[in-house]
Amino acid sequence: MKTNMLIRLKKYIPIVFLAALFMGCERDLTDLQPVTFPDNPEVFIDGFTAGLNYAAFGGSVPTAFDVDKKETYNNSEASMRFDVPNAGDPRGAYAGGVFFTGTGRNLTGYNALTFWAKASQSAVIDVVGFGNDLGASEYQVTISGMQVSTNWQKYIIPLPNSSVLTAERGMFYYSTGPVDGKGYSFWVDELKFENLGTIAHPQFIILNGQDQVETSFVGVEKMITGLTSVFNLPTGVNQTLNIAPAYFEFTSSNPSIATVDAAGKVLVTGGPGQSVITAKVGDAEVNGSLTIQSQGVFQLAPVPTRPVENVISVFSNAYPNVPVNYYNGYWEPYQTTLSADFEVDGDQVLNYTNFNFVGIEFSSPAIDASAMTHLHADIFIPAALTGNAQMRFELVDLVATVSGTFTTTITPGQSQQWVSLDIPLSNFAGLSAKNNLGQLIFVDVSENIAGFYADNIYFFNDGTQPSSPATAAPVPTHPAANVTSVFSDTYPSVPGTDLNPDWGQATVVTTVQIQGNNTLKLAGLNYQGIQFGASQDVSSMGFLHLDFWTANSTALSIFLISPGPVETPYTLTVPTSGWSSIDIPLSSFAPVSLTDVIQLKFDGNGDIYLDNVYFRKN
Amino acid sequence: MNKMNKFKRFHIPSALMLMVIIFWGCERDNFQKLDERNWQITWSDEFNGQAGQLPDASKWTFDLGTGQDGWGNSELQSYTNSTANISLDDEGNLVITAINQGNRFTSARIKTQGLFAQKYGRFEARIKTPYGPGLWPAFWMLGENIETVPWPGCGEIDIMELRGQEPHIIHGTIHGPGYSGGNPITGSYALVNDRFDADFHIYAIEWDKDKIDFFVDDYLYQRIERGDVPGEWVYDQPFFILLNVAVGGNYVGFPTAQTPFPQKMYIDYVRVFREAE
Repeated sequence: MKTNMLIRLKKYIPIVFLAALFMGCERDLTDLQPVTFPDNPEVFIDGFTAGLNYAAFGGSVPTAFDVDKKETYNNSEASMRFDVPNAGDPRGAYAGGVFFTGTGRNLTGYNALTFWAKASQSAVIDVVGFGNDLGASEYQVTISGMQVSTNWQKYIIPLPNSSVLTAERGMFYYSTGPVDGKGYSFWVDELKFENLGTIAHPQFIILNGQDQVETSFVGVEKMITGLTSVFNLPTGVNQTLNIAPAYFEFTSSNPSIATVDAAGKVLVTGGPGQSVITAKVGDAEVNGSLTIQSQGVFQLAPVPTRPVENVISVFSNAYPNVPVNYYNGYWEPYQTTLSADFEVDGDQVLNYTNFNFVGIEFSSPAIDASAMTHLHADIFIPAALTGNAQMRFELVDLVATVSGTFTTTITPGQSQQWVSLDIPLSNFAGLSAKNNLGQLIFVDVSENIAGFYADNIYFFNDGTQPSSPATAAPVPTHPAANVTSVFSDTYPSVPGTDLNPDWGQATVVTTVQIQGNNTLKLAGLNYQGIQFGASQDVSSMGFLHLDFWTANSTALSIFLISPGPVETPYTLTVPTSGWSSIDIPLSSFAPVSLTDVIQLKFDGNGDIYLDNVYFRKN
Repeated sequence: MNKMNKFKRFHIPSALMLMVIIFWGCERDNFQKLDERNWQITWSDEFNGQAGQLPDASKWTFDLGTGQDGWGNSELQSYTNSTANISLDDEGNLVITAINQGNRFTSARIKTQGLFAQKYGRFEARIKTPYGPGLWPAFWMLGENIETVPWPGCGEIDIMELRGQEPHIIHGTIHGPGYSGGNPITGSYALVNDRFDADFHIYAIEWDKDKIDFFVDDYLYQRIERGDVPGEWVYDQPFFILLNVAVGGNYVGFPTAQTPFPQKMYIDYVRVFREAE
């Protein structure tokens, strides 16, 4: 009845205005007003109001919305029904769409969009909102996660600052999917704009209300995000809205240092110096700010010069990078480190803030760094250090499940500038394998590194330490008659010898050709056995001969074994400088039974090349 | 539920009355036509002072702690005399702040017991209320003889109470022997399209030997006369004043995860008048 009354009244209002116009005196130009748009508050009462259209979102069920004459609020004529599809519905994965008008409406006299809603079951509507016009949606407002029940309830979407809504076309929008795979229906009725005195205490928020401080450089861009508004509803409960940047008027305290545009994009334009980015909504204060502490022109990390063929890159604009799963794993629950990566003049820089530890993962596929000698990283600590900082680098081999650590000291004098690190992989204590490196972890050991930039993270081979022999092992000269051979191209080997018996080792054994010469490679050694085809009596022999080569092993020993087992190690000097040839007196292996030797074993780490393994007489 | 019915019964006439006032504004209805009074101020606190100061110790004392069974109502808060919970704001207000400290709440409650009490007169305060489910602000009075005649025998006059989940409704109530706790004499006043936490409002009673009149912004919304109470009329002795913000309890229900904290009650002034001879 009230609605009818209003409609009847409204019929007369224009007539009164018309009468006033015609009976007024002659107009002159100063009477002309700017074009104004209709201020009709009604969107859907018992049907589409004048000029209202509906369009479904792409990928949604196009027929999800219908006018319902059965289930209505307060037994009114009709309501809006939305049928959310089941999971797997071929027509679409969700229900969603926009109610919009062809010409805008003047909503400056209202402060809320209200409606009544219920659902066929208790459910959470993913998003409902206002201001989506299928175009720029300049003044969009969204409520996420609106709880609906099986009873009609009134809902309120506050308008954050309706004074800007002089020609709004987006009246209402929604989008939601199935609950636990199952569809359901919900109804919306009496959708209209109101001016409510019962919503209060508006708050406006940028950057989620935080006062952020960032060190930055000329050319860095950053979006102001976390734009919300909070209103207290008539029930005393707060309602949070995600609202569009256009509601905010952003200001830079010092545009010569940083500018901010209407969309909230901050660009650092000068420095060194400071600028505080704040915002207002109408006359209202906004919580949250961004303080840009510009260091001036960004000091780019030194451009890498290693030949690309000697490099496996994880993060660099100078090289093609391997696939990286992530540059920040956000490892819960103990990691605090956040990422605020930036780009200056086309150079991307990793920026870790609130640093305690952070991991980069490159496990699909993992990196085979067996041919690499070093890890390179450029590190920049933007805050001035007051004391020495200890940063630990940790490399993880995901297959061998071993990791190696290396800790470096960064002095106060090295803060606020790039520190280029070339860390020999052999310095990563505990890294006994590097064929399947999958993670690089940075740790703030000294707990005084607030954050750091990183660039040019790559493995490389420095060429001074070839990771494999360039030349074949020396050809043996002992007469074949004096030799019992285990592995050599020069002599026949003991028949049936197994060069890679499964003793549970992690070592990867291959035979590789070096200058056409078969060479035995033990990669990622932890230990490795050789099983002779039959027990050997070497009591008439004097020496065990061995040629070995390694660039990265830091520990290596060889065992001779007789049944029992009785085994004795002999330590070999590593790493080698080229091929090492050694003749080990068999007496060194006492008390191994030289009449009954069955196996050899190597123990240690690194990648080892072996050749010409044989027993010989004096 | 009784209270709600009462409120609704009242509410409709008030809307009609507004219409009446709008359309025939010259004539006032008889209910609002009060005898002319000549009020003379007897006591007041204007709360003018520097930010961070506690209220004037010569006028107010504190109730501290959790009382017995949450001050008899299963209230959750612990009252303190910390300036975080109660202090002047340098803008002429006393501010009582209810704070959520994880799993406990702190707030403040002050009273004029032992410092000031008066029989009959006009008791008035200008207040902006807090809001949110479970918030329970009050401007109220207790009979001075409470030490010897326990509640409800001493009498209680609630000049203003509000449930934070209904920030547009205030309640005026008296508790006495035979009509206390969940069964008092009470009336409510609701704002139409507005709420009490959005701005300051003046809450008052005018009390004489025959009746107590309850006002919001000088609008009389409830009169309780001697004959209206089902028990003894215990309002012929001096009463002292209390101001507090409770959290949770039987009257208001518990705060929810959505209740905004901290919550503040702003009191611009408290003034007490006596009718001139």
